[in-house]
Amino acid sequence: MIEDRAPTRYEAAQKVTGAARYQGEVRAAGMLHAALVTAPMPSARVLGIDTARARALAGCVEVLTHENALRIPPAAFLTLLQEPVVHFAGQPVALVLAETPETARAAAALVEVRYAPMPAVTALEQARDEAYAPRTAGLTATDSRRGEPEAALAAAAVRLDHCYTTPTHNHLAIEPQVVLADWNGSDLLVQTPSQAVFAHRAGLARCFGLDIERVRVISPYLGGGFGSKGGAWFPCLVLGCLAAKQLGRPVRLELLRAQMFTLVGRRQETVQQLKIGAARDGRLAALLHDTVAQTSTYGEYADPVATPTRMMYACPNVATTHRLVRVNAPQPNPARAPGEGPGSFALESAIDELAYKLDLDPIELRRRNFADHDQHAGLPWSSNGLLECYRAGAEAFGWARRPSKPGTLSDGRHALGWGMAGACYPAYRIASQAAVRINLDGRVEVRCGTQDMGSGTYTVLAQLAAEALGVPYAAVDVALGDTLLPEGPYSGGSMATASFTPAVEDAARRLRRDLIARAVADPRSPMHGRQPDQVSIADGVMRAGNRSEPLIELLARVAPQGIEAAANAAPNTKPAHSYYGFGAVFAEVRVDPDLGEIRVTRLTGAYATGRILNPLLARSQFVGGLIWGIGMALHEKTVMDKNLGRIVNDNLADYLIPVHADMPRFDIHMLTEDEPHLGSGGVKGIGMLGTCGTAAAIANAVFHATGRRIRDLPIRLEQLL
Amino acid sequence: MVDVFQHQLDVVLEINGTRHRLSVAASATLLDVLRERLDLCGTKKGCDLGTCGACTVLVDGRRANACLMLAAMQDGRRIVTIEGVTQDGALHPLQQAFIEHDALQCGYCTPGQIMSALGLLAEGRTGKGIGSDAEIAEQMSGNLCRCGAYPNIVAAIAEAARS
Ligand code: FES
Ligand code: FES
Repeated sequence: MIEDRAPTRYEAAQKVTGAARYQGEVRAAGMLHAALVTAPMPSARVLGIDTARARALAGCVEVLTHENALRIPPAAFLTLLQEPVVHFAGQPVALVLAETPETARAAAALVEVRYAPMPAVTALEQARDEAYAPRTAGLTATDSRRGEPEAALAAAAVRLDHCYTTPTHNHLAIEPQVVLADWNGSDLLVQTPSQAVFAHRAGLARCFGLDIERVRVISPYLGGGFGSKGGAWFPCLVLGCLAAKQLGRPVRLELLRAQMFTLVGRRQETVQQLKIGAARDGRLAALLHDTVAQTSTYGEYADPVATPTRMMYACPNVATTHRLVRVNAPQPNPARAPGEGPGSFALESAIDELAYKLDLDPIELRRRNFADHDQHAGLPWSSNGLLECYRAGAEAFGWARRPSKPGTLSDGRHALGWGMAGACYPAYRIASQAAVRINLDGRVEVRCGTQDMGSGTYTVLAQLAAEALGVPYAAVDVALGDTLLPEGPYSGGSMATASFTPAVEDAARRLRRDLIARAVADPRSPMHGRQPDQVSIADGVMRAGNRSEPLIELLARVAPQGIEAAANAAPNTKPAHSYYGFGAVFAEVRVDPDLGEIRVTRLTGAYATGRILNPLLARSQFVGGLIWGIGMALHEKTVMDKNLGRIVNDNLADYLIPVHADMPRFDIHMLTEDEPHLGSGGVKGIGMLGTCGTAAAIANAVFHATGRRIRDLPIRLEQLL
Repeated sequence: MVDVFQHQLDVVLEINGTRHRLSVAASATLLDVLRERLDLCGTKKGCDLGTCGACTVLVDGRRANACLMLAAMQDGRRIVTIEGVTQDGALHPLQQAFIEHDALQCGYCTPGQIMSALGLLAEGRTGKGIGSDAEIAEQMSGNLCRCGAYPNIVAAIAEAARS
């Protein structure tokens, strides 16, 4: 079993020695450096741009503006330098190209732009009346309705009606977005950290009117992505390519940290009204979840915030809505656990509130409302380990010793609190191709045009091929992040692994069958004449009964040029099941009664997500997800100055993310679960799940410690004083 | 007025045991000189503002954010970057511990974490080497990791501190 031995990270030695070359570290002869000139106000017309002083600086080569930039068709939610209009503060209005990065930045400061400011909406609440229904909420329907929610709520014995809010977040990978764009005639080579090399290739080909084969996108390493290096990065990515085309020289455009707050997406803020009606025994009678979120004035995106409310619990009467308000602010997009992250904060907090109201244990309340099928989709679960997650998590955490009354646990002068929440995230899968090759020297190569954001893709690709083919892990080389490879899935929505796993396993098994077929047909092989099903391959050696032969000897005779097999795996278009990963997260917090300071001291997570390919790396993924949940609960918030319409904390000192000192003790339990229906080789994604429910578990623990129910994130110490 | 973009200064930097005689712009940071001039890209740029620690190097044995230092002011200093940690191709025990504990995900913060940890191990703050995991965490808090490898990083450092 793969699961028994967990190889360490495939590319770890490259990364710990500094040898791994990220895309901001590649160069091209004659490369120019780009710097953006950005608008300081949230809405304006550009009256004129004076570039003379910038151009006069030695080493400044060109300044592109809407007046002289190449025309390109609208290619994404925002096409830059095509019109004299400013939609948000931070929008690029000019691009300076220079021989060195320092000169580019200095010249950018010399570009003089005249603006006519225009009225702007700088906060969601300013335009609440103009909220509208988007076309979709993520990949799901905008609204949902079953039963008679309003009537059921009115008739319910116990009612709850609260508003929960979550703020804007930024992704903030430690590696900035960067592109080196290099044209060779009408061939475009793009080296950039990309979560979706094939989607970026298609988009760029469209923009520049090229056949898709003329564009190559390469992305061997990403210094994190979390949603900010896919479509959100596209407008600036295009700009780098446009400049390189227009100037006839390679161009490197690298974002500054502050620009990562405005130009590469954000998690939208949400205002969530949640109403619950329940019977005295806790059984849910009605759930109404209405969400309002921010989008930009030039693009539309809605996270699927209310989706956990649709399916997590059994309830006959449920209505959910998603509405958007246009704000002169950066365009939101998916960020780790989009929708389910903020949505589960509201739902799992509200369920906790109901538990206190009914004087029921929060787990017991959840058990009573376990959904034995997906009532929203009207489909059976493909697998659902939620009850087992409650049990395993509670046991590991010591939940049975929890006093039900808030404010009763303490540690010296500190108040302690215990809280828990359920977690769910859909298990998606998309089409993927892959190829597996074995060479004369016995080395195996997996080729799949997906990406590794730090999620462990290199490692699991190598493991999958090694296991399915029967060669040592160390004998496998992986090629990914390149559009010259077979098309792999994009890295997002926790779906890459579930998508490429069946393709890689299929390709490796085909290769294995091919090797065996050639061996049994080869008179010089010790396997000659055997039935193929009597022949096995393990550790690079073919065996049948007491006969054996290393693969390299077979290859030398029958295929000195090596053998390759390819496969294509695509999901069912009409699924007969509902696919979700589930979990339960338990938090212990310690609150200083005088200062209000909150520390998360323990986080226990129990997860049922199908087959775990590598427990070492999977644990890292879950812990990473939980840390995002800590950030959501206690730290993160992008702050807009409502007068200026500008972000005021656009740096890593003022926008708080969790640091070493914020870490609790983590206890992660990955339950054994059989996932027979998704067709993913048993895999369900895990990257998002750790971030779901975690903020609620922490807020619930804060209530248990202090008796204060905080419904607005992040929880600040002043809210507890 | 001196034009800091054009004005060049001569410096000698000892980097990973090799002396480099360089003429650098007065405004150039040590980080940009390492990455752009010397092609020592193991030292990462995460913010260029001293807020993330990705650019951590050792300067005369002390950890420092290379993005906050002007190269021109480091004349004669001994600088160690991640490329200087490996000896004759063999991984340093701390690097090995990072691999064993899976103390990295995307790897972009990793060189900074390792350099910072090496500095920390050398600081010997608590009398008998460094102390508890909580102390290590406290003293590593200038090195951000957005992937959330923190607990594994601390475990790797603790193991290296013991050995
Ligand atoms: S790059 Fe120097 S601290 Fe961030
Ligand atoms: S490993 Fe990605 S930022 Fe630390």
